[in-house]
This record gives sequence, C-alpha cells and structure tokens, in this order.
Amino acid sequence: MATITVPQAVPSSAEDAAALMKAFQGWGTDEKAVIAILAHRNSFQRKEIMLEYEEMYNESLIQRLQSELSGDFERAMYYWILDPMERQAVMANAATKCIQEEYKIIVEIACANSPAELVAIKKAYHVIYKCSLEEDVAARTRGNLRSLLLALVSTYRYDGDDVDMGLAKSEAKIVHEAVRNGTTDHEELIRIVGTRSKAQLKATFICFREEHSTSITKALPHGTDRTGYLHALRTALRCIVDGNKYFAKVLRTATRDSGTDEDTLTRVIVVHAEKDMKDISAAFQKRASCTLQQAIEKETSGDYRSFLMALLGS
Amino acid sequence: MQHLVGQASSNSSSAASASPVRLRPSPSSRRDQQHRERDAPAAAMADEHQELARAFSGMGGLGVDEAAVVSAVGRWRRQPEKRTQFRRSFPGFFTATSGGGGVMERCEDEYVRQLEAEFARFKDAAVLWAMHPWERDARWAHHVLHKAHPPAVLVEVACTRAADDLLGARRAYHALYHRSLEEDVAYRVRDASAALLVGLVSAYRYEGTRVSEELAKEEAKALAAAVKSASATGAKLVQNDLVVRVLATRSKPQLRATFRIYKELNGKTLEEDFAGELCLQEAVKCLDSPARYFGELINGAFKDGADKQAKAALTRVVVSRSEADMEEIKDAYAKQFGAKLTDAVAKNAHGHYKDALLAMIGK
Repeated sequence: MATITVPQAVPSSAEDAAALMKAFQGWGTDEKAVIAILAHRNSFQRKEIMLEYEEMYNESLIQRLQSELSGDFERAMYYWILDPMERQAVMANAATKCIQEEYKIIVEIACANSPAELVAIKKAYHVIYKCSLEEDVAARTRGNLRSLLLALVSTYRYDGDDVDMGLAKSEAKIVHEAVRNGTTDHEELIRIVGTRSKAQLKATFICFREEHSTSITKALPHGTDRTGYLHALRTALRCIVDGNKYFAKVLRTATRDSGTDEDTLTRVIVVHAEKDMKDISAAFQKRASCTLQQAIEKETSGDYRSFLMALLGS
Repeated sequence: MQHLVGQASSNSSSAASASPVRLRPSPSSRRDQQHRERDAPAAAMADEHQELARAFSGMGGLGVDEAAVVSAVGRWRRQPEKRTQFRRSFPGFFTATSGGGGVMERCEDEYVRQLEAEFARFKDAAVLWAMHPWERDARWAHHVLHKAHPPAVLVEVACTRAADDLLGARRAYHALYHRSLEEDVAYRVRDASAALLVGLVSAYRYEGTRVSEELAKEEAKALAAAVKSASATGAKLVQNDLVVRVLATRSKPQLRATFRIYKELNGKTLEEDFAGELCLQEAVKCLDSPARYFGELINGAFKDGADKQAKAALTRVVVSRSEADMEEIKDAYAKQFGAKLTDAVAKNAHGHYKDALLAMIGK
C-alpha cells in the first residue's frame, strides 16, 4: 500500500502550476509550498501539472525545479516528479554507467517489480535512451554477473500462482548442488532464478529449506567475490522471496548511526511511496527499535527530511 | 476419355427428352461402355489414375484437389472395377493381399497417414489464419519445444517478429501454458544452442532507427576476432559470449550496420563465417534479411523429398507473413528462384489449400 496522501479536493493542475510558480518567485524558493503540492499528488496528477506548467509558463517544470532546489532534496524531487516507470528507467541507466558498483540497483528493479512493470520500465528506457536496457547491462558486464543480470532483466516471468511441486523439489536439488560447488558451475542456478515464475521460485526455496534446514540465502558461499556475482545473486533471491523485508533491511542499513546514505533513502522511498511503502515500513519496524518515520526524523534534516516525511504520510 | 464423356451426355439427353427419368446409362449401353473402356488406350487410363492420384496428392504437391476427387467419385459411381484398377496402379499405396478366397488391395498405413496430413493442410491453414498472431506464435513455439523439433521455428519467431509482437507471443504463452516461453526453452533445450535461444526469445529490442556506426565497427571487429579464434581452437561460436550478447540484445538496425561493416572489413559475410553452425546462420538471416529467409523456407516445401517440417513451413510462412512483409517475400522469391511465388504455389499445391494460400499471398 502507498503512503502518500492526496487531498480529497484536489486543486486543478492549473491552480497547482500557478502555486508552484508563486513558490519559485522572489528571493529564494518556498520549499514548503513545493512539498505541500507535489508530495501530495499521484503520478497522473503530477503529469498534468507538468504539462499545464509548461503550457502556462513556456518552461519545463523539471528544469525549473532543478535550478530552484539543491542537494539531496533536489535529487529526490527530480526522481519524484518523473513518471514511475521512467523514474526506474532513469535509475537503471545511471546504474549501468557504473555497473560494477551499482549492479544492486539493476537487480532490485528487475526482481522487485511485477513482470508487467518491468516491461513498462524497459519500454520507457527505449524511448528515453534510444537503446535497450538489456544491451547496456550486457555490454558492461562479463562472466556470471552478466549472465545473471541479463537473465533477470530480460525475463518476462509467468505471473500466476501455478506451482509444480515435483519440479520445485528437483530444482531445489539442482540449486543445492550449485551452491555447494562454489561459483563455478552456476548455469543451472542462473537458469532457474532467471526464468521461473516467482511463485515457482518461492516453492523451490521452501523445498530447499525443508530439505537442508537452512534458507537459500544463508547457504550461499560467503567469500569475498570481486566480480559482485554472489552479492547480486543474494540480492536477487532476497528480493524475490520477500521484497518488503529486503527493502526494510536496505533502509535500516541506510539509516545507521555511522552515516546516512541519502541516495539509497531517496531511491527506496521515492520509488515505493506510491507502491508498497506501508508494507516496507511495517517490516522495518519489526526488526528496528523505532518506526521508519522516527529513523528518518533522526538521520536526515531540512527540506529533504520534510519531503521524505511527506512521502511517508506524515 | 473424351468419347466416354460424350457418350454419357448423349445418353442422358435422349432419356431426358422422353420423361423425367434418372440420368443413368441403360444396361446395354453400359456394357458397351465397359467394352470400349477395356479397349481404350492404356495411356488414357493411366492418365485418369494419375490425375486422381495427384488429386489425392500421392504424387507430390501439397493439399488435396477436392474437386477432382468429387468428380471421380461421381464418374465412377457403380463402377467398382474402376476403383480396383486405380488401386492396382499404385503399388506404393495399396498392396495386394489374398486370403479368405479373394484378392484385395489393402491401403498402406503410411499412405493413410500421408493422406490425413494432406487433407488437413487446408483445415490447419484456416484455423491458423483465424487465430490471433500472438497465439499462433506461442503454439508454434510450444509445439517445437515439446516435440523436440529442430529449433529453427523458435529462431524464426524470435527474430522476425517486431519487439511488441514477440512480447505479445510471450504473454500468450503465459496464458496458454502457465509458464514463460524462456523458462521452457531454458529447461528443454540442452544442447550448445541453449544460451543463444534463450537470449533470442527473451529479447525486447529497441525498435528505433538510431544506429551507432562506431559501435557497429567495434562489434564487427570483435566478432571477426571471435570467428578467427574459434576456427583456430575448434570452439563453437554458438556458445561464444560475445556472439550471443550481440545477437540477442542489439537492435535490428544496429545489427544490420554491424553485419554490413563486417562484410566490408572481412570480405565475407558473417553468415558465411558461421558455416557449420546452423542455428547461428538462421539467426543472422532472420535478423538481417527475413524476406530472403522466408523465400527459402517456402522453396524448401516444394522440393522433392521435403519432410513434414519443411512442408509445414509453407502454411506457417504464408499465414504469418501475409499481412506483414509478403510483398518483400514475393520480390525476394522471384529474385532468388527466378519464378513468381504465385506461380510456384499454383504449381505445387492443390485444391482449397492452394486457393487459400494464393488468397493470402495476393496478386
């Protein structure tokens, strides 16, 4: 469930556009007014406001926001104002540019979205970047990491609940063999994780746990893997098995005392605020000593904090 | 045979002028007819049988000449000896057996199967024509995978359809079979071509015209290096990471630029350098020049000794391309085989099947 709140009586897009222009005028920007409007509109309404603003003032709202705002707040608002599918396409593209460090983002996008959403993201990618996400991912990686990422990004999984328990048992065996032998012969493992439906995979991992008394993620070899393949695999498995738990953990790590990771906070909250942030918040609270709002309150400041809090429904 | 037809009609006209009488030769004239037939030149008899056999497509050609069969049924009514002679003139399809005090020519099971296939051609074409293109492609892909046929059809569907049509076919596959196409391909194809096939069927290519000449040059060079090293070590190119990556992810316009530059740099086409690796050659042909590929498939259906799959390709290509690139296919066919596609179909197919194909091919 989403956490953003949209007022019952929404002003027209023309009224919103005019209010935004008012917030931009004069000395400095009225950030509170910007947040009060944009953080409380859904993607359809935001698109209307953008079109109306451009029509009324002959300039791009995105570019105006980029010049009026700054820092983490500006970055967060830039991602927020985009259409949800375009947003993840832009995030994916940024990740492919330094894929050895940011492959995790590609895995999240490929695994945490529904199959139909992933297709929409790839379509948006075509339009914006005039090439495919697959070719960018494939061209910049090699070996097992490439095989895994390319499979995750290209697949169009069956989205139904049909499960073949016999197959789940036999594929749990195959997975077990693969993880036992280090990272050399993972073709079958990548085949399974990269093509089976999520329901089928969940069943396979349950069979794995029943047979070997440990979860698949715990059973993965734990060395340092410079290629990033093992980490990508672990991320993929976590996203598939329980996306909420995964993102809750990501947020917990990002709000640790040792230093806040604003880029990660922005990525997770902006993408999920109008999707399933409520469930992620609940998962966060289960394992943390405070609520997500309290953690954000504590670890961030200024307009950036106000914006995130607004997205979380405060 | 003409005089026999003349005889029948003159008899019937005299009978008709008297009173409404059934149009059938009187017993005496029928006997005369039989005598005449016994004496008729053997060539005319053989011709009639040959024509009927051809109508049943026992002698090559695709489909059944329904009209000729019906005509023979009518002409030989109450003349079982005619049918006996017909059966005897085809030892390949009917074998004489004796037992129980009489000779009978029994039908060969193989011939019955062949006949069923030929009668079914029109039905298959009609049903496929009525289906949604996405469902057609999903069913063809499923059939190939589950009967372990050569994967050429998978390559064809994956590489010649537009990106959104391939995606639609994959969606249809979900709906029909409750699995994804790629999971079935990955699970069932266990030979060297698996990685390439999974890559091709999973592709959702950029469909715009933007092409980077620089990238095309870089990848053409890399492909040339891969080809050279494979010929030295004997490794299979279909399992080469670079080859699979480029063929399975780049857009078609980008690939065509790469293929063009490859030829400029190396003198040979990539297709030629993929000799001995049929799957790769098919992929390159389908991506680069689908019309030529389809023309060759159609021609393959007409050849002597064409097998079941080769013949089935005719229906598949005509039905699936009739509203896509049929004009280009006609041009490519004429260029390569020196004959009009419509003429070749008219020559090699029969009956309703032929008419349906011609209707789908257009003038």
